[in-house]
Order: sequence, then C-alpha cells, then structure tokens
Amino acid sequence: MKILIIEDEYELAESIAAYLSESSYLCEFAPTAGEALNKIEAYHYDCIILDIMLPDGNGIRILEAIKRMDKQDGVIIVSAKDALDDKVKGLQMGADDYLTKPFHLAELAARIYSIIRRKQFGNANTIQQSELQIDLLAKTVSVSGEPISLTRKEFDLLMYFMGNKNKVISKSTLAEHLSGDFADMLDNHDFIYAHIKNLKKKLNEAGYGNYLKTIYGTGYKWER
Amino acid sequence: MGKMRKLLSKSLKPLTLYALLVLMASIPAYYYLVDSIWQRELDEHNQIIAYRTAQGLNRLHLSNEALSESIQLWNTIQPGTNLRRLTGTLSRPDSTYTVLRQNPYTEQKDIDRFRGLSRIIQIHGSSYELIIETNIEETEETVAAIAIVTFFFFLVMVIGFLLLNKRLSARLWKPFRSTLARLKTFRLSSQSPIEFEQSDTLEFEELNDALSKLIAQNISVYASQKEFTENAAHELQTPLAIIKNKLDLLLQQEPLTDRQYRIIEEANRALTRITRINKNLLLLAKIENHQFDDREAINVRLLIEHCIEQLKEHFDHKKIPIQTELTDITIEGNKILFEVLLNNLLLNAVRHNREYGNVRITLHPSGIIFANSGSSALDGITLFKRFGKLTGPNSGSGLGLAIVKEICNRHGWQVSYRFEGNLHTFSVVF
Repeated sequence: MKILIIEDEYELAESIAAYLSESSYLCEFAPTAGEALNKIEAYHYDCIILDIMLPDGNGIRILEAIKRMDKQDGVIIVSAKDALDDKVKGLQMGADDYLTKPFHLAELAARIYSIIRRKQFGNANTIQQSELQIDLLAKTVSVSGEPISLTRKEFDLLMYFMGNKNKVISKSTLAEHLSGDFADMLDNHDFIYAHIKNLKKKLNEAGYGNYLKTIYGTGYKWER
Repeated sequence: MGKMRKLLSKSLKPLTLYALLVLMASIPAYYYLVDSIWQRELDEHNQIIAYRTAQGLNRLHLSNEALSESIQLWNTIQPGTNLRRLTGTLSRPDSTYTVLRQNPYTEQKDIDRFRGLSRIIQIHGSSYELIIETNIEETEETVAAIAIVTFFFFLVMVIGFLLLNKRLSARLWKPFRSTLARLKTFRLSSQSPIEFEQSDTLEFEELNDALSKLIAQNISVYASQKEFTENAAHELQTPLAIIKNKLDLLLQQEPLTDRQYRIIEEANRALTRITRINKNLLLLAKIENHQFDDREAINVRLLIEHCIEQLKEHFDHKKIPIQTELTDITIEGNKILFEVLLNNLLLNAVRHNREYGNVRITLHPSGIIFANSGSSALDGITLFKRFGKLTGPNSGSGLGLAIVKEICNRHGWQVSYRFEGNLHTFSVVF
C-alpha cells in the first residue's frame, strides 16, 4: 500500500511515516505542492495525506489537480484550521476525509484503513479476520457465519482496532476517538472500559479468539 | 451622581445673577446721573429767572414806594420766589441749596424737594436778596422710577435668556448630540469606526477629531489583539500535533513499563486539554470575527435531544438520570454555535455533578433551563469570564461558559446562573 504524505512540517511527516510503516504501508513525502503534483502525476497512491496549508499554495489546488487527472487515490485532508467551510469545500472537492490537527496517529491510521477498503473493494467490502467477518457497508459482524449484534460504538471500536492492528492504543486515545471534542471535558475515561468489555464479551461468546488484549492496565492492542 | 442638569441651564443661573447684580448697581448710578442733570438744569433755570427778575424790576423805573409794593405783590403772587431788601450794599456770590419742605396745600404728609438759588441783585442802587426755589423730583421717586425700569429690563433679559437658551441648546448642541448618539451605538467588537457629522464649531470638531483618533486606535489594538490570539492559537497547532504524534510513537516502543505508559497517558491528557483551550480560543476569536453570523431556523427540541443522545453515556456512567421537559419551539440562530452552547451546558451538568445526582432540562418558549445537583453555589460573576475559575485538577478549558456567554451575546440572549434548592441552575432566555 502506497501512501503519499504531503506535509511541509518534517517532524509530522516523519512521525506519520514511522507509525504507518510498521503496518506495511510504504510512505513517500512531498513537502511542497509542486513536488506533490509531480508525484501524483507520475505514480499511483492508495491514499494521499494532504496538509491543506502548504508554503507554495493552498492544498485545495492539489485536490483540483487530482480530480482533473481523474485519479482514484483516496485523499485525507489534514489541517490546522478547524474551519467548517474548509471541511465542506475539501469534501466537495473530492477529498474522502478531513482531520484537524492535532490528531492521534491511530486515528489517522484507522481512517486510512477504511478509505483504502472503500476505494479498493467497492460494494463487496468485507473484512475477513480469521473466523471474524465484517461487512463494512451493512455494518454487520459475524463470527464463523454466526452474526453478532454490536452497538454502533462497539462496531466503531472494532473498526478502529482493524486499522491499528498490533498497535498499542491507550484509553485516552480511544476516548478521544469515541467522544471527539469532548474527551478532555470528561472526568474520567472509564466509559471506554465498559465498551471494550462488552465488545470482548460478545466476540468471545461467539467463539472468536482473544485477539483484543489489555496492555499496561488501561491500554489495548489487537494482536493478530 | 446627584441631580443632573444641562450645561446651558448651569450657565444660566450665574449669568442671571450677574445681570441682576449689574442692574442693581446701575440704579444708584442712574440716580446720581439723573439727579445731577436735574440740579444743573434747575440751577440754570433759577439763574435765568433771577436775571430776568432783576432786569425786569430795574426796567420798570418805579419809585421806592411803588417798588416795595411791587415787591410785596411779587412775593405774594409768585410762589417759590422771595425778594428781600437788604440794608446797605452787599455783594456775595450766588449760593445754591436743596431743601425739603412740607406741601402747604395738603394736610397729608407730602414732603417736596426744592432746588434754591440765593442771589444778591441790585435794584436802583439798593441790594436785594432774591431767593428762587424750584420743585425738584424727590430722591425716592427718582430711585423708584429707575428701579422699576431696571427691573422691567431685568425681566426682559431673563425671559430673553430662557428663550435663547432653549433655541441655542437645540441648535448649538446639535453636533454634540449627534456625536453622542453615534458614540452610544459604537461597539468595539464590530470593528467599524464611526463617521462623525461635520460641524463648524471648533470645539466640536476637535472633539470629533480626538474621538475618531481614539476609536481608530482602539479598533486597531482590538484587532491586533484578536489577531494575536488567533495566530497564537494557530501557530500552536503544529507543535501540539508533533508532541501528540511523538507520544503515539513512544507508546509503540515495546515493552514499556506500566509507569512509562502512565506517564505517556498523563502527558496525553494534558495535551488534549491544551488542545481544547486552543480550539476554544480560536472559536471565541471566530465568533468575534463574525464567522458564525449566518442564521437559520433551529428546532430546539430536536437539537437538545440530539445533544443528549451524544452525551447520554456519560450521564449513564455517573448514574445520573436526565429529566427533560421540552416544548416544541423553533428559534432563529446559528446552528453550529447553538449546538456548542448546548453541549457546553450539558457537559457542565455532567461534570459538576455527583454520582446518582440529577439533571433537569426544561425548554419553554422563552428559554432553556439546565438544573443539576450540586453542593455549593459558584461565583456567578467570574463564572462566565475567560479563565475565570480554574481550580482543581479537572477544570476543563476555563472557556466553556465564556463561550456560552459570547454565543448568547451574539444572539441577543441572556444567560444567568443561580443556585437554588441545591441545584446549579443555568438559564438562557431567548
């Protein structure tokens, strides 16, 4: 899987690449819009991470170019601006997702994962993970053909782990994912524990192996 | 502040008093002037009569008997004059005097004032003393007449002052009033300077000029301060993102000790808080920058239900039942901001609450009330200030209620806090 990171901040680009490389993604960098356009024209990427504020021009320009070239690359906009019209504009211009800085790398990985799944598998989008089967479109889960019913948040968590296999995900990262902007406003993140416990229980009861591990007391890791 | 009076009315009183003083002082001056003119004229008059009398008698060429008879007759029929023969030939300068005498023709007290001339005249070689007295206006009558006239003019003056005052205050102060009216509508946050009306009065032009400069300066200070907040918040995003991502990477460095993991988690939580403060500062700057000025019709009940749904698990987690009493109403406002307002108030209701506490949300046509159980009253004044109350380890961004207040200000709503019946009660009145 090839990823293009269009980001002028070297430290950020490097961190993203370090995190994604462990998950068998191949990352390339483009610190300017010019370089990015050259690379997009020359190669195919499964996903492009696009910082919308670049030193040599607005990232929206790159989006327009991708559209003009009729490329099918998935695009995630990352922006320091949390402006709604930017978000709407970006998504209208053909971006697949929008992420506001600062974000957790796990969040980015989860989004890249689902974009690539969507782009590549289209309508028949099913993840097969040993005896676990996830239908991304219908949002249903079954173990060995036996459907199990998950709440929306449990399904959401499961997908998050799918995008971050073999990664340590801390409780606070999950809390930020599930409650978005409000995470820091909450006294404690124990509600995460309840969701994880239920998800584990449902998977185990259906006979699925214990892949979701608790680590360091309050961290989690999906091992495969 | 005491009783407030208009500037012109303030100057009217001393002016009137001064006019009164001057006019009063003019009464004796006028009296002495009129009286001395009188006296001079009467002295002249008396001298002419004395001269004519002497000449007339000399021209008659009467014998001594006839002369003394004539003089006697003269003295009888000509009141106010008296001619008396003197022994020997005498010569002395004229003397003039003023005398007061009771009117002989009336029983009542009627003192008349006379101006007299005493002169030695020569008739056929003999010396006679001729006394001529002419009635002159009495002092009090002159004073009274002058006083009446003066008082009349004083009245005319005061009435004139009042009328002029009325007209002047309407006309002279017009540019000032226009300036004042425009100043009253000025809002620093709207960032638009005031255009003052041109005036041909030097003072008002100076005032307008000084005000324009002051306002321009304020606007620029305000703008740069706002810009600073916005830029600072923006600039912070990237380093925050770097720290966050580095912590994410650090978390993957297996094996970590539990302690190392906890340190990363704690750093992460602090980072999330900075991020929120930063985002809230940006949000405030954006609200102030009118980036949320578009309005739409909002179904309040639906939006409240949606927000409750989003946060319900946190209430459940604390075992806090949410009681609602929602009327179906629609208001005009910015939906994004209104949702922020509701979320902030809801989050407060769950955060500053105890386990097994309670929350009641009441929506009626004129506003919303959020009431939740609490132990003691909060400071209602600092509560809505930016970073007004930052205590305890989990005090949030310190901006939540400041944002609520700013959103209310933008929409012309009123937000207030009170503590009653052990309930923290926030109400927003549309």
